[in-house]
Amino acid sequence: MAQTIGKIQTRLMREYYKYFSKYAKGKTPESKVAWVTSFVPVEILEAMDILYYYPESYAAVIAASEREQELLAESERQFLTTDCCSYSCCIEGCVSLEDGPRGKLPKPDILIATNNQCNTLPAWWNILAERYNVPLVILDYPGEDMEKEIAYRYVKSQHDDLISELEKLTESKFEPEKLANVISNSERSVKAWQNVILNLRTKDIKPTMLFDDINYLITARCKEQTAELYDMMASELSQKEEITDGKIPVFWIGYPLWYHQDRFFSEIMYDYRIVGSNYITWWNLDYSGNNSSEKLFNAYNYTFLNLSQKTRNARLSKLIKESGAKCAISLRNKSCKCDFVSAKDISIPKSEIEIDMIDRSFLDIEKATGVLELLKTTIH
Amino acid sequence: MKILSMSGFVPEEICDTVRFSGYTGERNITHFCGYANDFISQVMLDDSIDGAIFPRSCDSTRIIPSYLKGSSKFQYQLKVPARSDDYAIEYFAMQLKQLRVAIEEYYHEELGDISNRIEMVNCRNEIIGSYYEKLDRISYKDYIDAIHEELSVALHESKHDELNRIEVTNPTYKHRVYLIGSFLANTDIIRKIEGCGLKIVGDNLPESGRIQNSIVESFDEDVYAAISRKVLSRRLSPTQNNFSKIISFDVNEMCKLHAEGVIFVSQKYCEPYDYLYSVYKKKLDELHIPVLHLSLSNSEDLSKAKLMIEAFADTL
Repeated sequence: MAQTIGKIQTRLMREYYKYFSKYAKGKTPESKVAWVTSFVPVEILEAMDILYYYPESYAAVIAASEREQELLAESERQFLTTDCCSYSCCIEGCVSLEDGPRGKLPKPDILIATNNQCNTLPAWWNILAERYNVPLVILDYPGEDMEKEIAYRYVKSQHDDLISELEKLTESKFEPEKLANVISNSERSVKAWQNVILNLRTKDIKPTMLFDDINYLITARCKEQTAELYDMMASELSQKEEITDGKIPVFWIGYPLWYHQDRFFSEIMYDYRIVGSNYITWWNLDYSGNNSSEKLFNAYNYTFLNLSQKTRNARLSKLIKESGAKCAISLRNKSCKCDFVSAKDISIPKSEIEIDMIDRSFLDIEKATGVLELLKTTIH
Repeated sequence: MKILSMSGFVPEEICDTVRFSGYTGERNITHFCGYANDFISQVMLDDSIDGAIFPRSCDSTRIIPSYLKGSSKFQYQLKVPARSDDYAIEYFAMQLKQLRVAIEEYYHEELGDISNRIEMVNCRNEIIGSYYEKLDRISYKDYIDAIHEELSVALHESKHDELNRIEVTNPTYKHRVYLIGSFLANTDIIRKIEGCGLKIVGDNLPESGRIQNSIVESFDEDVYAAISRKVLSRRLSPTQNNFSKIISFDVNEMCKLHAEGVIFVSQKYCEPYDYLYSVYKKKLDELHIPVLHLSLSNSEDLSKAKLMIEAFADTL
């Protein structure tokens, strides 16, 4: 079983990275290339046979490969201050030096960004558009405060325009049936992933695995093999031993620390066990609707970070309750203002720790140790 | 009704607002724009303010509602479209309609005739335009102070006295510069710039270059659509995601005005301007136009600015 999981993972990753300069060996992609942000409706691109890449994910890989400091320094040399999101600074360094752990990303033919996660990404995509001089498409998602009918019309018109733009780019006709099939792949992937993460609360598994394996839901959610992979993982995890280590169950609110080998400060969390995380639920998109347009609208207009504080509070409370956590670690992330307000109103004891998900120099480990010690005293 | 507004995306045509210009706030939110932080403080602490209208146009403004949650004052967040096409104009017009309804419901007060207010805003912006055209012959400090004064009073109360008091004095100067940035809360910076013999001959500030001569041309169509069209079609903010259009417009203007250098003022942790700067700087370097970047900590910060401006003036 483990070998089969490994094989699918390898196949998906090999497919994703094959045109990165380290592996492509001069070969150029046979299809048009888009650079996308994490919540772009990639089902449209998949249905039109466009290759799509996620610079944010690559920034995580860069940090995991211990290359972020040199690239952040290069970003400053390119006049992009490291006060900005570290994902963007890391990639600015990478594209400027044409270097990275897996080489360069394939050159984009189009850039697509959304604001259903934050407003930083569209600004970042603007600097990429200047560099590559290719079309830039910004998709604007109103979120839940706007009347649903108005929001739907606004989003649908933008999705329709995107399809027209891509038809021009690829010189091919969009096929609605293909999109419907691809969306059902995404739906299956989400469902299967939900079954995977259910195990975090009770089974003996390291959160590191989930922080890493959600990558397939981000970069390959509409591929057929992704649901298959997650189904196998869920089945394997469900057979694991129940955990009985007596550690304090804690909820992790925020991004994984991509530069850390465990993706969290495991060296100071020996008394705690992570039983839940909001990050691993962010791509549990809700593709409900009667047709493809409605499904894409519901999935991408109501992403977690595009919800009001009130709805976020309700969702987070539910997640925390289901996890059985007795306390929470809330990360004040230099790179993500939109996330750190998520934990403003939770009802269990929490500690705030200042971090950056890419730049390891941000974490004051001594201070964090003290904060976690203090947290212990508040739990009964 | 005394509503504090933040950003030029809040249209004065709907109701009277006081434009936020600066405040000594608590500034306790880390990695967060000092200007937005000070806006939150004023809404929370200033009893003379009973409401707030602000945009969702960047990450700092996006999360303002989370920090104003405890306040019972009127609050409205305008979702500024990330695009400027016809869909965006229709969508923003819908929001303006909703804004009016929300204000009327909260204050139990019917807002007046919008067309009348449109004419008042048009008139004000044309007056600003008339002074913008002669920036090299007037004191820029007087000009910006007059605009800030104008924006701090109710539209129907304004007789444009401050603007009309600006005198053409033909000040002497050594070098012509162009100013780029967001709302310039701290006008003491201008005093420093002018004190160093630098003449600001043009700008893209939201309260000046971006609104001068910005008018609703015709409102035979839906009046909200007309306002929306005006707001989204005028000189762009970096939050509207078209850096190339911004830079191309500004560079043309600075060449036309024979600007010898550029002063780029931004708030620390203001990402739209930080991203814009990285592209702007490269473009200006290509054109051999020197640029000074002043990154301010909050709406009152002046530290280091004086020395940096003096050093910049010496390089021109």
